Amino acid sequence: MASVQEQTILRDPQLFYWILFPITIVMVLTGILRHYATVLMQSAPQKQDIRAIREQRNLLHGIALRTNLNQLSLSSFTARKNYLVAAYNRGEFLKDQENKGKPPANPMTDPAGMDQMMNMLKGNMAMMVPQTLIMGWINAFFSGFVIMKLPFPLTIRFKSMLQSGVMTRDMDVRWVSSLSWYFLNLFGLRPVFSFILGNDNAADQMAAQMGGMNPAAGAGMFAPGQDPHKMFLAEAENLEVVGGQHEWVLDGVIERLLAAHN
Amino acid sequence: MTTAAEERELLLNPVVPENVLHNTKTVTDIRSLTGSLFGVAAGILGLESYWGFIFYLVGSCVVSAFMVALNTGGRPERYFRGKSEIWTTEVVSGSSMAGFILTWTLFFGLLRV
Repeated sequence: MASVQEQTILRDPQLFYWILFPITIVMVLTGILRHYATVLMQSAPQKQDIRAIREQRNLLHGIALRTNLNQLSLSSFTARKNYLVAAYNRGEFLKDQENKGKPPANPMTDPAGMDQMMNMLKGNMAMMVPQTLIMGWINAFFSGFVIMKLPFPLTIRFKSMLQSGVMTRDMDVRWVSSLSWYFLNLFGLRPVFSFILGNDNAADQMAAQMGGMNPAAGAGMFAPGQDPHKMFLAEAENLEVVGGQHEWVLDGVIERLLAAHN
Repeated sequence: MTTAAEERELLLNPVVPENVLHNTKTVTDIRSLTGSLFGVAAGILGLESYWGFIFYLVGSCVVSAFMVALNTGGRPERYFRGKSEIWTTEVVSGSSMAGFILTWTLFFGLLRV
């Protein structure tokens, strides 16, 4: 087998100065640009109607009470719960009381919903455009020759991807073209970004893609198109359910304290 | 321990998400910095294939030992759930490994080939 013998290829050191470093620098600068573009493109949160805020806050009040119920004594929990459940069922906190039973408005016509969608679209654009541009740039300028040798072996399956444009059948897969250096940068530059820009940066493309999988996770609570009255009714039911499992944390605290200090 | 007892324990000693996030962030920062530096070292030493990854794992263990000794004062269970979490967080998956491979490849290519 020919593969036993080590393949050596003489390369011009200029390859490093004119390919490796430019790609790295461009990737880092693109990440920084992405970060600042994302920061700049975020539109400031709009001032909301006082009634809309009241609706949201009161729903969050119920959720907070439900999650922290054990911090309260049974009597004070029951008092809060009774007040909230009664108000929820009456629909007291609703933004527009007369629309209680009607289906929600079309999210496409709601200006708040439009705004949210615009933000999502901008985030996707900031991710897709540089990625496409850089891949195209690398393919246009730097394809067709190998630039480096990986320090670890890969299976033959990677050959078509990592040696794209190099038409040699027998070359070891460890010799790779510039596109694979691009991929390494794509995955490995996150530490660099977090040291340049801090931890909450928007520079990393891979992280942005992971986050892009579920864009509804953060904004899902008050997404347009949901009937707030239904949410209030569901929350009232939840409060009633957890009310049966109440167990105060301060029950038996004296015994625990004494046991801890014995 | 039954589920009810576990829940009760969690109520008496609650886990604050902000603190957990901060501790994990600290570990991640240390790991990604040291991961990149290990890559530089491995590239300069000219390690290949398995030896590079073994070097990375051994180095990560050393870093974990330092974190246990210096950052947590020898008591990682005060900052993490369980004693083993600080040894395994962010070692194999995550940005630390990717940074290691990046700098390893770069310095290997610059110096050895």
